[in-house]
Amino acid sequence: MSNYKILSKEAHKDLRVNTVRSAEFGDNIMYTMTFPMEFRDIQSCYPIFFCKDSESGQLYPAALLGFEQDQNLFLSDSGWDASYIPMMVRRHPFLIGFQADPNGPEGTTKPVVSIDADSPRLIKANGEDSQEGEALFKQNGSPSDFLQTSISALESIHRGLEHNKGFIAALLEHELLESFSLKITLNDGSNNELKGFYTIAEQKLQALDGDTLAKFNAQGYLQSIYMAIASFARLRPMIDKKNAQLP
Amino acid sequence: MNHKINRVIIVGGGTAGWLSAGIIAAEHCIASAGSDTADCFQLTLVESPDIPTIGVGEGTWPSMRSTLQKMGISETDFFRECSASFKQGTLFKGWRTGENDIYTHPFTAPQSYSDVNLAPHWQTAREQINFAQAVSPQSALFADKLAPKQISTPEYAFNVNYGYHLDAAKFAEFLRKHCVEKLGVTHIKANVTAVNSADNGDIASIATDSHGNIEGDLFIDCSGSKALLIGDHFAIPLSSKSDVLFNNSALAAQIPYTDENDPIESCTLSTAQSAGWIWEIGLPTRRGIGHVYSSDHNTEERASEELLSYIASTVSEQAAAAATLRKVQFSPGHRAKFWHKNCVAIGMSAGFIEPLEASALVLVELSAAMIAEQLPANRGVMDLVAKRFNDKFLYRWDRIIEFLKLHYILSQRRDTEYWRDNCEASSIPEHLQDLLALWRHQSPWHRDSHNVDEMFPSASFQYVLYGMDFETLTSQTQRRSEQAERLQAGSLFQENAARTRQLQASLPTNRELINKIHTFGFQKI
Repeated sequence: MSNYKILSKEAHKDLRVNTVRSAEFGDNIMYTMTFPMEFRDIQSCYPIFFCKDSESGQLYPAALLGFEQDQNLFLSDSGWDASYIPMMVRRHPFLIGFQADPNGPEGTTKPVVSIDADSPRLIKANGEDSQEGEALFKQNGSPSDFLQTSISALESIHRGLEHNKGFIAALLEHELLESFSLKITLNDGSNNELKGFYTIAEQKLQALDGDTLAKFNAQGYLQSIYMAIASFARLRPMIDKKNAQLP
Repeated sequence: MNHKINRVIIVGGGTAGWLSAGIIAAEHCIASAGSDTADCFQLTLVESPDIPTIGVGEGTWPSMRSTLQKMGISETDFFRECSASFKQGTLFKGWRTGENDIYTHPFTAPQSYSDVNLAPHWQTAREQINFAQAVSPQSALFADKLAPKQISTPEYAFNVNYGYHLDAAKFAEFLRKHCVEKLGVTHIKANVTAVNSADNGDIASIATDSHGNIEGDLFIDCSGSKALLIGDHFAIPLSSKSDVLFNNSALAAQIPYTDENDPIESCTLSTAQSAGWIWEIGLPTRRGIGHVYSSDHNTEERASEELLSYIASTVSEQAAAAATLRKVQFSPGHRAKFWHKNCVAIGMSAGFIEPLEASALVLVELSAAMIAEQLPANRGVMDLVAKRFNDKFLYRWDRIIEFLKLHYILSQRRDTEYWRDNCEASSIPEHLQDLLALWRHQSPWHRDSHNVDEMFPSASFQYVLYGMDFETLTSQTQRRSEQAERLQAGSLFQENAARTRQLQASLPTNRELINKIHTFGFQKI
């Protein structure tokens, strides 16, 4: 279970973060949320689908990493085997929390950097010579380069979440998402069925009128849509990877 | 005789009127205002500004899902604006013995119902598990007050079949807005003052106090129990069914929840009384609780005492003390025919009986759907369509009346005159007596249906019969398929138990899901 606390220099001065990619740190995930701003990198490694948040039913874009629960085909003993690691994976153990904003009107909140105090990635540094993992703060108490990179990733995620809302709303308004299921037959004859995912409805996309296309282009959605379609080609290498793992 | 049927006038703006308008307008394109309308289809609803709509909580059948969907209504909007909730069936208390007996009639048919009749196989295990629980996961779900789906399930789709509970006044207003703004229905607020006849006896127009004469080709009477057209004007008699179904009075109350997070029932509760039964319908905002009874067997005073004692024991003493009871009287029965000349009655103008199986709204849906689908091309063929309509709906009313009566005649209660009278052979339609004699030897099954669109499928009869402890004797001969079927039935019972556990673990409560619909809404996909 996660236990998020607001990050502070005082409380978290001595903490270091293990950045190794492994199942024991919770990286064995079947898919992860992604954002149009990273689609260019995502589509070069992973298929992009859409799925629903189980708590709210809201749709979001996701990068597919495996064919069943707790399976990440890009994860091996030597780490994460891909040229790009999704932002939502890299963010750990950090998360954006929201705190009441004392300077804003009542009821407004501001984003704050939070850390999962129970994350298995955290290393309590003993002494100054500890070298394992990445430090959060420098000796003088200022944020480390690692922490600064993490904070800017969180900022990107924060913007990405907002961007996703508009992107998904536009796709739904024009009925550009459709549910799909995919049956993958492996070399040993076993079947994996992907269910509960959605993809771009290409027939609807081809029937869009010029005005809508121009609007989508101006909003940057058009490029994202085609990147999602092109990312389908990444399924084949994943199937090959899975087949190669068969006994 | 060959003029086209282009102008349809609906008289009355309650649930029946607006639901009919929506169903017909969803099927036929309506000429937009200002275009040359002489040759185009038009739908006008005339509603009295002086008659308030009565806000009772009502139950629907699962058919309402496709009815709303076809009209292009967002299920999210429907939930938000009509105080709607999920209904998965009915839970009957005290019907068998008057003690604390319980049985359920879920909306989901038994497992693999198209292939295997599980009833004979359940008979051998009837001491261990009740029928509904053995064959369907649904009654366990509504015992836990769970929803029939998740927030990630698309609108109108489900894990287990469902209909709705809704606030009828809000529903009529919601449909009005949709009909006028989206479907092109013309709305006129006026009181009907007279009916003007044509030479052939048809209605030529209705005279109104503020909009003059309104002409039409087909008039739909949705004026409620007033029956302005079918009753007052055409004097089509009501055929009374009070010799079969005795209930003719109701006392209704709206009871607030003690706490806004109190669970919402996801089925209708029906609790048998000394001379009738009490309904309980859970809306997100309040409970609708009422007592429907026979005034020949019970006094209003005694009926009201029973209702208040129910409220006191199931809700609280305070709720009972604060309850305001509204009395409704009705004559159980229906018109001798529903479509006469160019006028057809839908809703209470067509007939009314006790709401034991929530048949009121589904009859409106079915009537309007048949009119929409078979809208006569011209006056010449209208009489043919009218005859088909009358035959079909007389048949349907007979089936509904029989099905309601079945609930009473299976009871072992003999504690009051009411329950004894209900089992008098003279009060039981002959066709139903025949079925009952047959079911002693064979369980209800698909062969019992005469029509493809039968009101109650044989599964419904199974739920009521076996819920009420009815016994079907085992077959006289050994069937060749018996052993194979028994094996299949065994695995279906196990599948059902596994599916029940899986659904119980994954479905949110009725209250949780309704809150999420208000916060997030359903997705269309």
